[in-house]
Amino acid sequence: MPAAYILRSNSTFLGVILVMISLGLLTQYSIDWHLALRQGVWAIVSVALFWVCLMVPYKAFLQKSPYIYAVLLTSLILVRLVGHESHGARRWLGVGSIMIQPSEFMKLALLFLLIYLFAREPSYDGLRVDRIFLAFLFTLVPAYLISKQPDLGTALGLIFTLAIFLVLRGIRAHTFFLTILATVTALPIAWQLIWTHLHSFQKDRIRTFLNPQADPMGLGYHTLQSMVAVGSGGIWGQGIHGATQVKFRYLPGASTDFAFAVFSEEWGFLGAFFLIVLNMLIIWFGFETAMTSKDPKGFYLAAGLTGVFGTSFLINAGMVVGILPVVGIPMPFMSYGGSALLMTMVGLALILNVRLRDCG
Amino acid sequence: MKSFQGLSTGRRPMVLREESLSSGLSGEGFLFKLPKTPQGRFKILLVLIGLGLGVLVLRLFTVQITEHEKYLRLANGNILRVVPLPPLRGPILDRNGEILVSNNMNFAVSLIQYGLKDNEDQIMERLSGDLGVPVAEIEDTFDKVRDVLPPYLPIPLLTHLSIAQLARVQMDLWQLHGVVIQAIPDRRYTKGDLAAHMLGYVGSLSVADMKSSYARHFPPGTGIGKTGLEKEYDSVLQGTPGEDRNLVDSQGDVIKKLPPTLPTEGHALRLTIDWRLQKVAEDALGDRKGAVVALDPRNGQVLVMASHPSYDPNMVSGTMSHQLWASLLSDPRTPLSNRGIQGTYPPGSVFKIVTTMAGLDSGAIDPTREFYCNGIFRLHGWDFHDWKKGGHGHIYLKQALMQSCDIFFYRAGMSIGPDRMAAYARTFGLGEKTGIDLPSEAPGLVPDRKWKRKRFNQPWYPGESLPFAIGQGYLTVTPLQMARLMAVVANQGTLVTPHLLLDATGASVKKVATGLPPDHFPPVREGLWEVVNNPSGTGRPVKMKEMEIAGKTGTAQVISNRGPGGPGHHKIRAHSWFVGFAPFSDPRIVVAVLVENGGDGGDTAGPVARDVFKLFYEDYIRGATPETAAGAKE
Repeated sequence: MPAAYILRSNSTFLGVILVMISLGLLTQYSIDWHLALRQGVWAIVSVALFWVCLMVPYKAFLQKSPYIYAVLLTSLILVRLVGHESHGARRWLGVGSIMIQPSEFMKLALLFLLIYLFAREPSYDGLRVDRIFLAFLFTLVPAYLISKQPDLGTALGLIFTLAIFLVLRGIRAHTFFLTILATVTALPIAWQLIWTHLHSFQKDRIRTFLNPQADPMGLGYHTLQSMVAVGSGGIWGQGIHGATQVKFRYLPGASTDFAFAVFSEEWGFLGAFFLIVLNMLIIWFGFETAMTSKDPKGFYLAAGLTGVFGTSFLINAGMVVGILPVVGIPMPFMSYGGSALLMTMVGLALILNVRLRDCG
Repeated sequence: MKSFQGLSTGRRPMVLREESLSSGLSGEGFLFKLPKTPQGRFKILLVLIGLGLGVLVLRLFTVQITEHEKYLRLANGNILRVVPLPPLRGPILDRNGEILVSNNMNFAVSLIQYGLKDNEDQIMERLSGDLGVPVAEIEDTFDKVRDVLPPYLPIPLLTHLSIAQLARVQMDLWQLHGVVIQAIPDRRYTKGDLAAHMLGYVGSLSVADMKSSYARHFPPGTGIGKTGLEKEYDSVLQGTPGEDRNLVDSQGDVIKKLPPTLPTEGHALRLTIDWRLQKVAEDALGDRKGAVVALDPRNGQVLVMASHPSYDPNMVSGTMSHQLWASLLSDPRTPLSNRGIQGTYPPGSVFKIVTTMAGLDSGAIDPTREFYCNGIFRLHGWDFHDWKKGGHGHIYLKQALMQSCDIFFYRAGMSIGPDRMAAYARTFGLGEKTGIDLPSEAPGLVPDRKWKRKRFNQPWYPGESLPFAIGQGYLTVTPLQMARLMAVVANQGTLVTPHLLLDATGASVKKVATGLPPDHFPPVREGLWEVVNNPSGTGRPVKMKEMEIAGKTGTAQVISNRGPGGPGHHKIRAHSWFVGFAPFSDPRIVVAVLVENGGDGGDTAGPVARDVFKLFYEDYIRGATPETAAGAKE
């Protein structure tokens, strides 16, 4: 496919992506230029990977999805054994300064696998119970491994991915109710299991969300400082050098989970609104692609990726402005992290991939 | 397989569809119609995401626009740490510019709570060793205020460090995290115990002060006036604290120092007091208990305000030991009391001035009528004696004042009656605070029938009018009130409000016309002139060749039930008064002297007053420099 054609016919989409990458780098630069530099290198790699993922037909990814999934599952186990530890979490694999976080890619691999296995599954009204059980198994095994890293956010991301796929794919009525029933029955047991396995800081976060006023300077510190950052941005923002919350290290996780808070403090309501509009453009592009796709697999891939992209943005932003609990789901393009950026770019490349091959 | 919709509605037949993109959960009988196709459900998902984005925008609007101010304030509170810097207290000068109170620089060792982790005990112990003060004492000082003050403010643990203490702490400072040495100004009273009561003293902020609306924002280590002028004019003297402003991070570590705002020194107080006159008065009082008040009868400027026994405010303001404080408080001679405004005494014969004015007004006294005093006044079968055995013989008002004849005034007092007497006493400013700019002034007491009824539930007995007429009995006054009373005689009818702050605008001068008939003053003044200048006057020890002085002596009998013989009424040595003014023709100074248990007024109090008059004459009249002459006016 000629590159010129791709560029010309999807200029808005590509332009939005470049603007979002730039805004992400700018935000990282305002926090610490070292971060911007590293993230910049990742951005270049991700643009290259974006192009590669455009060239390979998306069906090839789906075809190879069992292998991709198996490799990533193995690497998750490897992380557990020989992973690189940082800030009390063991999430990374790699040599020297190049560190990969396999859990980020697991989200993609899971979606591939689910589509590969179940999209063409002949059925009348929806997935059968045994299929659903399989789908849960494929999700919960890596989710468990990831949650033990510990990385509750990414584990939740996997579950969201499954949920989105199931919603799109459809479940038969009584299966749906059976699932609900099973969940309701299993919930107390699961809760016990989960709660006892949660790390104390994870419990604190949940408690804080349930009762944020309990300890505004202690457990709710993240949310409070995040909202102080966002709120002090005002309409016009404090500018790239005026974000005091970040400068003086009041906002923990400023570069990662709370990068959107930094952006909002620096660029104010107008900036935040602009960023929301950019995200909406991408979501809209994904929506159009999915709806016009002639191939069911193309639909599931575009729709699933769009759903994951949209919910990631929404959950992270909701956390930053204090309406959702603090779970470590990074904001696409904004949060620091090479693997997350690569994942985002691959995902968007695949949406475009579907559009180029399957639509119109 | 049956579809849910088929089961629930039965309207449609069971349909088998080969379509791969068939609907899963669907149902018209459901709460709402769910889309049957994945595309339909994707639309719903998108709508939900869209709604979520809408909520997000609304939330951003509230946080960033509606509540922007609130969060901005929080953000600023986060990063800006303001440590107040104590200002220098304003100095206090006498009317001629002599410095009475200035500041000393002192070193204090202070502790910032932020610096403390779990090593508090260690630091306290080390400090205790360096300072030679028990640990408990340091901890006590610290614990008293640690919860009241923000944790970034240094809390003074010990002030007025000696050089040795300073050196030891300085050497250990590297291992005393959170400990700082601060330079804290404190008061220096240059004349020692001179005018100590009037000047007052400064103490450290109490916990109550730190919570009060007035002193809440004072930096730790700031002094606050506890008594006297230091208290009265504390807000003037305080000055404005400066601010040391730092940007700090969440650990409390300073990231950047901002330019500090320097403290501004408090305003200087220029007093109406003349320290030389004050000194002469205090020297003359010596070890005796008593008070000297001098004021300018034209405007109420107080020239002397002395009270003995005294104390050294330098000791009280600095590192005062608890023993010293306790001994000052428990001393039976009450050295902390400012007798000039807080001591209440019977005025004795000085009050005969009021009786005279009341008598002249009511017709009970006629200066041209001769009176015979045989030394005894008989009332309802009781004999009241004159102080002079055998009486004063044939006298007029002038002689009655001059020799302080009691019988003459008994007679007048009987016909004036207690209520009218009380009314005149109040006209002269007795029974109420003079309004001087000092805290804790006593009002004294002017009795009348109503008061007697209220206080003792008894009627006024006629026999009580006799001691009232000669300034005995229930009547009590302060030396300042006596000076003010004499000022009315000196300026012939104006009640001035005494004040201590010299004020070039004259705004602080407050005068009230008493409404007393002007032609009644000359007879009184002539009598008072005779008191001093007639060889047989009671105030003859006060007489000066250079300047004509007029005045009245008083020898106020005191009855105490704390006498040597146990409870019961005992006569103890009378209080000695002299109250006078000068120069007679153009009065510029009134002096009131009280010596507790001094005996005869003319002999004991008189010479003290004379010393003050003498120096006043030398400084203000004979060798009047333009400067001092101007200073006497307002």
